[in-house]
Amino acid sequence: MAKLLRILGAVLLVPGLMALCSALQVGPASWFTDEKSFWGMPICLFVFWIGLAHAGTLLSAVFLALGVRLDRRTALLAELSTLCSLSLAVVFPLVHLGVIENFYMVAPFVDSRGIFANAGSPLVWDFCCIAVYGLLSFLFFHNHLSSRNVPAQEIIRKPFAWLLLPLVLWVHSVVSLDFAATFVPEWQGAFFPVYFVVGAVYSGLALVNCLLCAEGYRVRLLEKLMIFSSWFIGVIWGWDYLTKGVFFTWAFVFAGLLPQLLWVGAVRDSRVGRLLVGLSVLLGLFLERLYLVSPSMSELPSLGLVDLGLVSFSAGFFLLFYFGLRRFVGCFVDEGGTFFGDVDGSEMEEDLSATEPAEGDEKYVNPFSSREFRTIRLPLLLGILAMLLFTVWCLNVPDTDLTLVNMLPLTYPVLALVAGISLWVSSGVLREISRRVLLVVVMFCVLFGVLAGIFFVGYPSEESGRQIRSLSLTERENNSEKEKNTERDIGLSSSALLWNARCSSCHGSDGKLNEKFVREYYPVPNTLTLSRLDSLGEDSLYQVISRGRTNMNSYEGRLTEKEIRGLVRYMRFLAGEE
Amino acid sequence: MTPLQNALGCLLALGCAYFFWKPKARLVGNAAILVGSLSLFVAYAFAVGDTEFYPFRLFALALCFSTTSLQKDRRRFLFLAQIFWLWIELFGNISLYYRGYEFAGTRLVAIAGLALCSTFLSRISKEMEFCLMVFWIAVWIFF
Repeated sequence: MAKLLRILGAVLLVPGLMALCSALQVGPASWFTDEKSFWGMPICLFVFWIGLAHAGTLLSAVFLALGVRLDRRTALLAELSTLCSLSLAVVFPLVHLGVIENFYMVAPFVDSRGIFANAGSPLVWDFCCIAVYGLLSFLFFHNHLSSRNVPAQEIIRKPFAWLLLPLVLWVHSVVSLDFAATFVPEWQGAFFPVYFVVGAVYSGLALVNCLLCAEGYRVRLLEKLMIFSSWFIGVIWGWDYLTKGVFFTWAFVFAGLLPQLLWVGAVRDSRVGRLLVGLSVLLGLFLERLYLVSPSMSELPSLGLVDLGLVSFSAGFFLLFYFGLRRFVGCFVDEGGTFFGDVDGSEMEEDLSATEPAEGDEKYVNPFSSREFRTIRLPLLLGILAMLLFTVWCLNVPDTDLTLVNMLPLTYPVLALVAGISLWVSSGVLREISRRVLLVVVMFCVLFGVLAGIFFVGYPSEESGRQIRSLSLTERENNSEKEKNTERDIGLSSSALLWNARCSSCHGSDGKLNEKFVREYYPVPNTLTLSRLDSLGEDSLYQVISRGRTNMNSYEGRLTEKEIRGLVRYMRFLAGEE
Repeated sequence: MTPLQNALGCLLALGCAYFFWKPKARLVGNAAILVGSLSLFVAYAFAVGDTEFYPFRLFALALCFSTTSLQKDRRRFLFLAQIFWLWIELFGNISLYYRGYEFAGTRLVAIAGLALCSTFLSRISKEMEFCLMVFWIAVWIFF
């Protein structure tokens, strides 16, 4: 079965890769873009796969933290599906942004270089949360695998689960804020975080049930939870309909009604029946995400070849990557054949009793004295310290107007990152790694730190800075004289037209940013205040427009000198100069 | 929404919480009661004219109330229910803040403070259960 699915994945991946190349080359014009939200298939697939990525950590970590028994095999499969879904999900924001080489601009460097990432944007929060979630999920998976052979490492598994539990909720809540913090009326709702998390949990359960069908066994608890999730999502859709009049009919049919077929014994006991119900849920939730991302899309035929190709890419990539990785892990780690591979269910009870505490063993423990708490307290303290330092630093960076509320979504990921890595290191995992590998890891970390440091001080923008500084004083004076002569050549009204045509999409028609752009698409420059314009100087502004800077394209050859001078003057007018 | 309607909502949550997690109830029964309660909160919130996250806040409050009647692992689920409430309030408030509403920081601090303090509780007596419920109601009504 796994081999068949790998072949299917490869077959789907071929047209998918062609569509991906086309999407990267042509940009947003190649896929269907909603006329109201300007979002399309890449964002839809991103939200969908991020939702699926909840399966592993939710099932494994949350069940472990709450003391719900789940066998190791199912937990490992679920965790592996998280890693694959996350790897896939991160591709789509890059496709959506179009400027892949500038992907690092969404890292939270907090405007330290003037024009840089806007830490008040949900896109930056996405980057942080998903990166931390991916890393910690990997460490959790690694710990799970290695603890089988080194039981001493089992000690950090439950504390790790407690650390990941809020992160699961956090990641998808932050993704939901991409919608809830915008100006699109259909998306404005304070209930969106709950809505998204329930949807993500539901789709994650459906994915795991499908994977279990492929493996050839079933976990009744997960099937029941999937049915209950369909009830909860149904109520939330009802609330969405009552408050906004939005109802996704096909999503309701596929993900709301059809899963109830599991109440029928013949469907429930049939492997094909369970698989079809799971796939129906996934299809329904995909359609729901599609309608949600593109509110004006009412019919599927408006999807183009690239849209369908991207869907094919995502399905093919997941199948190939998941079942390929599963085989790889099975070959190199699974010595006894007890982690992955075909099973008849007889090993599960033994595995369950070996890995999870039996019921009735629980004893009362005093507050803050459990073994888990003692294991996690120092890493947690380090995490809290790092979070406080990061927040204080961000709030004190000059020339930013960030508030504590802007920083809140970043706080827990920072805490979890530091605490998770500390916890993982404290488990003694480093003792198991050979010195050579350890040396490579340390060197990589140092190199990464150095690059991040160079990047932070603004090396990539040095070129434009050097060009500006290279202008001699005489040239500047000449330019200043020229400016005086040419200033009068182009009127303020002409500059206003030019501004609205060329600049307002990012800077806003009033020069105070296009907030929709800021929140939904990409970090953009600071507000053009008079003090900022004064500090830059008119020549610098001329050079910025003419030669471009970081994310801003060069207008050399597209605008005349007079027009650029006129724009600079108009900027000052917008900033309030009399 | 008037303060009276808000107080009635709190009463509704208290009433629904009584039916949660009954001993010997099956998983499907518990799930049905939870979904039924959420539907009731949705209907109530729609009737009183709130279009944001009121039903989900009510649901979280009901979960908090229900933890006082649990037979085992009360401290763990007490903490989790409050964190659930805190999560709904936090992210709901962030999205509202981005639309120009005031950030209800006091409520968040109150819930977070109580969640943290409740982890110090050793054995939860009947009197402590009552105090917790009074505190939750106070947070609901006044903050």
